Amino acid sequence: MIKKAHLTQWLDRVAQGYDLFGPVLDGVVQFKRVNSSDQLVFDYANSVVPPKNLFLPQTECLFAFRREEGSIILEPRGGLERERVLFGIRPCDARSLLLLDEVFNGDLEDTYYQEKRRGTILIGLACPSPPQRTCFCTSLGIDPLSPEGVDILLTDLGDRYLVEVTTEKGEELVGLSQELFFPSAEGEKLKGEKGKSLEEVGEKIGSLWEDGYWRELSRRCLGCGVCTYLCPTCHCFDLTDVGSTLSGKRFRCWDSCMFADFTRMAGGVNPRPTGKERVRQRYFDKFSYFPERYGVLGCVGCGRCSQYCPMGIDIRTIINEVIARGAK
Amino acid sequence: MEQELREIVRKLLEEGAIEYFIGYAEGFEPLHTTPCFIERGEQVQALVWSPLCPYNLARYLHQMKDGAGKVGLVVKGCDARAIVELVKGNQIQRERVVVVGIPCQGQVDLAKLEDAFEGAEMVEGKGDTFLVTVGEKVHSVEKERLLREKCFSCRHPISFEYDFVLGEMSPLVYGSESEFAMVEELERLPVEERRAFWRAQFERCIRCYACRDICYACYCQECIFESKAPRWLEKTTTPLDNQTYHLIRAWHMVGRCIDCGECERVCPVGIPLRRLYKKVEKEVEQLFDYRAGMRVEDLPPLVTFAAEEPALSSRQDRSER
Repeated sequence: MIKKAHLTQWLDRVAQGYDLFGPVLDGVVQFKRVNSSDQLVFDYANSVVPPKNLFLPQTECLFAFRREEGSIILEPRGGLERERVLFGIRPCDARSLLLLDEVFNGDLEDTYYQEKRRGTILIGLACPSPPQRTCFCTSLGIDPLSPEGVDILLTDLGDRYLVEVTTEKGEELVGLSQELFFPSAEGEKLKGEKGKSLEEVGEKIGSLWEDGYWRELSRRCLGCGVCTYLCPTCHCFDLTDVGSTLSGKRFRCWDSCMFADFTRMAGGVNPRPTGKERVRQRYFDKFSYFPERYGVLGCVGCGRCSQYCPMGIDIRTIINEVIARGAK
Repeated sequence: MEQELREIVRKLLEEGAIEYFIGYAEGFEPLHTTPCFIERGEQVQALVWSPLCPYNLARYLHQMKDGAGKVGLVVKGCDARAIVELVKGNQIQRERVVVVGIPCQGQVDLAKLEDAFEGAEMVEGKGDTFLVTVGEKVHSVEKERLLREKCFSCRHPISFEYDFVLGEMSPLVYGSESEFAMVEELERLPVEERRAFWRAQFERCIRCYACRDICYACYCQECIFESKAPRWLEKTTTPLDNQTYHLIRAWHMVGRCIDCGECERVCPVGIPLRRLYKKVEKEVEQLFDYRAGMRVEDLPPLVTFAAEEPALSSRQDRSER
């Protein structure tokens, strides 16, 4: 346990030895680097942009290149100066990082992602009750009070936090201010609720490839990038060289399957020519392709896509519709 | 009013006067509406109308290019100006659109609502107040407390471009004196502070393009930001790239922005885009005495030339002095 009044003291100690990231109010709540705990906010539901951008930045320089006397010199970029601590990640987003690990740590390891992932200790914050109107993690088997995927989980118990330490790295962080922590009485762990399971969606969606629903949905969809960019598990990117053929930099930038140019080929052919194919792609990826590849649904129920969709498209409604229309 | 709307739409569909109708339906909960496309008479029950219908449905008229028939839609006064502009820009033919105008009683800002009434379930407009339902209780609250920012400078709560109009023509109008106040406030700042203000805003931008994609006026066949050759703007999100994106868009809005405010509403990271476009609107109004979306006959200032541009010539006088 740690008293609430002592939390910032501990975080400030952490910030001395690590690069500390946490929720900051800058227009909206975002996870950002802070120098001191007084930049942090504690009264927030979740960040708008998920913490994936700390591991897969929206714009990331992979290397610089230049031509010199007939050869090409590459200068690698990336790398962390110090180990990082991310404070305040929610259980849904912690799960999303486990899913992204599947993608970026498969047969080919993505070193840019992995070094950030390995170099970051996660301090999770269990979710406050009641949840937001768009939250539905419990319907996807996630417990909003679970320490899954984090090194330390804090649960708000009024004037103090219950501290669950699950890894050695977590122990190290607690060890920085051991004097602030005290043992908990038994039975103080809160119990999470389970919602109606929506996992059936994965078994049903395959039968709906030709269903008229995707066209219906695509009429409302504007094809913007809100749902994909705010999705903690969406991870598509594009590679771009900036500069000239003599010297420049190669960047990796987020990209979105909702954009018309995402699949446009060099000759102008587009295998996903209309909104229908693009909308269908997004949900098939979440509920069919992702589970096929990794054995788990590609959605963590954070609800950001529903909360911020410009036209009020709601992923839970889509899941329910798929369950109602589809066959196993 | 909902019933009246449903009857009109049912009739239009059953008589074959339109192929489909674009309206508002309940979303995942009553507070969240979502646009809907009604194709058959029996679907009209889905149509709703309340102070929780922010969407400018005229944006969906871009889809008319795919068909040949008529389309109906419901519009608030602010949205109706988009129809005028789409006609002017040869994007739609007026006779192919059946416009149902609704005198808007003001739109509710959901964030303000949730701050003021936790667990609010429904909002209705009644005179100068909104009636907010929370559980068993109905609270009456002054409109000023919950209105969306743009409604405070509303000059056109009722569509002047319509085929049907619903309800009483006694709309709520707020004074327009302060319409450009938020622009003037920034204009008074030294240029470095203004630059710092916008730089901080644009730095948050994630370039999701929601502001472009929601805009009724963004109907270019190939958007400058998607052009591959030449490549005007990369996907990189450096502060300069983001600024370039927003300033190009602002220039493209000259004489075309109707202040529907949809860009600002949909921005997930809270960039105050109305301020940017209000600035453009203000310059156009002062230089050319022109407001977009008023009358189909009005010629947009950038596609016409008047030797005697009153505001421009007075500017020239100043520079000669």
